[in-house]
Amino acid sequence: MIRFDNVTKIYKGETRAVNGVTLNIEKGEFVFLVGPSGSGKSTMLRLMTCEEKVTAGDIHVAGKDLSKLNSWRVPYLRRNIGSVFQDFKLLPNKTVYQNVAFALEVIGRPENVIRTQVPAILELVGLEDKHRRFPDELSGGEQQRVSIARAFVNRPLILLADEPTGNLDPDTSEELTSLLDRINRTGTTVVMATHDRTIVDRMRRRVIALRQGELVRDEQRGAYGSETDSPEAPGVHPVDGASP
Amino acid sequence: MSRIRYFARETWTNIRRNLTLTFAAILTVAVGVMLVGMGLMAGYASGNALDRWEGGVQFEVFLNPQIDPSQLDALGIELQTHPEIDRIEFFSSEEAYGLVSQQMADQPELLAQVSPEALPASYRVVPRSVEAELIESLAAQFRQRPGVMSVQTGREEVDAIRTWFTSFQGIVLLLSIVLSGASVMLIFNSIRVAMFARRREIEVMKLVGATNSFIRFPFMLEGMLHGLIGGIIGAIAAGALRGHVEGLFSRSDILAFFRSFVVTSDQFTTVVIVTVIAGVLVGMIGSAFAASRFLDV
Repeated sequence: MIRFDNVTKIYKGETRAVNGVTLNIEKGEFVFLVGPSGSGKSTMLRLMTCEEKVTAGDIHVAGKDLSKLNSWRVPYLRRNIGSVFQDFKLLPNKTVYQNVAFALEVIGRPENVIRTQVPAILELVGLEDKHRRFPDELSGGEQQRVSIARAFVNRPLILLADEPTGNLDPDTSEELTSLLDRINRTGTTVVMATHDRTIVDRMRRRVIALRQGELVRDEQRGAYGSETDSPEAPGVHPVDGASP
Repeated sequence: MSRIRYFARETWTNIRRNLTLTFAAILTVAVGVMLVGMGLMAGYASGNALDRWEGGVQFEVFLNPQIDPSQLDALGIELQTHPEIDRIEFFSSEEAYGLVSQQMADQPELLAQVSPEALPASYRVVPRSVEAELIESLAAQFRQRPGVMSVQTGREEVDAIRTWFTSFQGIVLLLSIVLSGASVMLIFNSIRVAMFARRREIEVMKLVGATNSFIRFPFMLEGMLHGLIGGIIGAIAAGALRGHVEGLFSRSDILAFFRSFVVTSDQFTTVVIVTVIAGVLVGMIGSAFAASRFLDV
């Protein structure tokens, strides 16, 4: 479903955000992308959605070679990828329902499809009672569920989540992860970039660890930090003041 | 159907959010295209008037006041029997004075300076053909005859009027180009502001895979709508101007000369179409420019 072949991304000729990463994610997998801030997690996600172009190497997503993808085809690729962000990116002047419906509207889905899909997805994320609320009337966890609903309403093959629990308390984070887990069980490939040690350790899913743009660990049923890159190692812990 | 509703809703929201800039853009378009219409109408009106004069043109042979009666008769016979001449009409000094006093009826102090003897008698000559060259050659021929003071054709006047209208049209065209440029820039800016106001929506649209053309469309539509409304207002203004000017010409005796400067209704239809299309074009250019510059994130 997602394949990186020796992928390197250099921003403005300076920093190597991603350096020689090779990996393969199969259909239906649930993958945690872990590593400290600036380790290249977000860049990897942005490369998958063509928001950034690789400097070297090849990426295949949903059967498409991204380096050979015409720019006018990018939107069609993105229809197969749902994206969830730390800051939700909801539209404040639209209700919950309208926010989710918007995602279908702007890719030209007919109205009858919108009228059946949106309530179904709101039920899946547990917000069917709040569909008339505006984002600022919801808690952080609820807002993030709206953004997951929006990302998943078109039933994409892949769901990318960039630190989706970054702004949420531990209990809410857990609820959200189990929602992503349920989505994963429908066959959707989920890639979640996170700092959240508790969740990663509890879920016991595949863990891909990055450090300074390099892939340092790829484990099936892994944990946030293992013996190879313990939290004490320089540059791994997010708040490690001793890192060089 | 959902698309049409989507586009209608988005475009309307944009226009409402951005009312002052929208107004400025629409009014500039209106004035700009009104000038386009004005230039076009001036062209049509002068063309129509000049056609008429050139078609039914006559020339006038002014006679020396001291002309012999025999010379007068000989000249009259020559004019009457000339193969190129259709008919002639004689105006004596008194008749000329009568005409002048009619024209100067409201300026008696000016009229007092004119005496019938000071006005030359004349033959008005209507040639068979309306070709300007022929009229010129006839005029030249009769200028040589004894007792003839001068021969006046409409040529000089026609040329002067044509020159005047051409330069008038040039100025109007220049102004309309300047204003159209300003309109393009105003629409460009108003679309840019609209896009900035909607940057979150645009970000989400890109995220969920809306095509660029889909994202651009409401903005292009908005720009075109500005242009269309401006074009329609401009066309209405041009129509009002036409009515006002033609009314002015027909009511005023001083401007009676301009009465033949009219625009036919067919020509006015063309003016309206050109005006509205010019508006839409200006809107399209401005918004396409903005959409292509500010969308490639």
